Amino acid sequence: MNESVATIPMESLRLPLLNGVLAETHLIAEQSQRVEELFQRLADQWRKETAHLSLVVKKVMHPAYQRIIGLGPAAIPLLLRELQQQPGHWTWALRAITGEDPTLPDDTVTQAAQAWVKWGQERNYL
Amino acid sequence: MSAKNLENLFPNLKQAGYRITSQADVDYNCVAWAVGDTRQWWEPLPGFYWPPGVEKEHSLAAYIRIFVIHGYSPCDAAELEPNYQKIAIYVDADGIPSHVARQIGDGKWTSKIGELEDIEHNTLGALEGEAYGIVFQIMKRKSSANP
Repeated sequence: MNESVATIPMESLRLPLLNGVLAETHLIAEQSQRVEELFQRLADQWRKETAHLSLVVKKVMHPAYQRIIGLGPAAIPLLLRELQQQPGHWTWALRAITGEDPTLPDDTVTQAAQAWVKWGQERNYL
Repeated sequence: MSAKNLENLFPNLKQAGYRITSQADVDYNCVAWAVGDTRQWWEPLPGFYWPPGVEKEHSLAAYIRIFVIHGYSPCDAAELEPNYQKIAIYVDADGIPSHVARQIGDGKWTSKIGELEDIEHNTLGALEGEAYGIVFQIMKRKSSANP
């Protein structure tokens, strides 16, 4: 064993390591907060500007919706939380991000939202 | 959505006269409402209902076909005619159907506004504008038929 390393007190090694982990955790939390704030802003804009539209094909082409899809997996729990609070046309985004579809062909919009919430709970997103 | 927001979306609405007749409901849209279905959202996309025998496309021809299947035929006049039910198809600037309204007994119209409320509006022009475009096709059928 290298003598110089062996003589370093363990406490002096642990502290920088702990600080590093804390700093990284803080950074992740900050990034997560920023994603959540961005998501809420985009979701509010999308609802306000498309709720009156009768075509989902137009709703999902809205730039705010496309940006939400662009957030990728970070948006999954946020989308699921939206669906948990109120059924809506978020299933298109969830399908696009996850590549999965837990809904049945005859599901109503509300039933599809419930299927996605269940899917999220089973995978610990909620 | 508040009445004020609806009036902002449809600038002609307030002057034409209207009233909100239901709660918001995300499960059905205007074309479903026009044929009396409050359970399903009708759209030619995976995950939504689209009637068998109708082209799976967002086209005026496909919308007309839906109403032909339900006993309607194209006509020119939007005015109330005794013993007839009428619907009106709106199209956007690209000619894509954007909305359908159904005439009710007193000559007024009923519309489901996207995933929002149902409203009664006194004229078709009430919903014309940037959001829904213009009325492009009126269709009618004998009123003895089902919704």
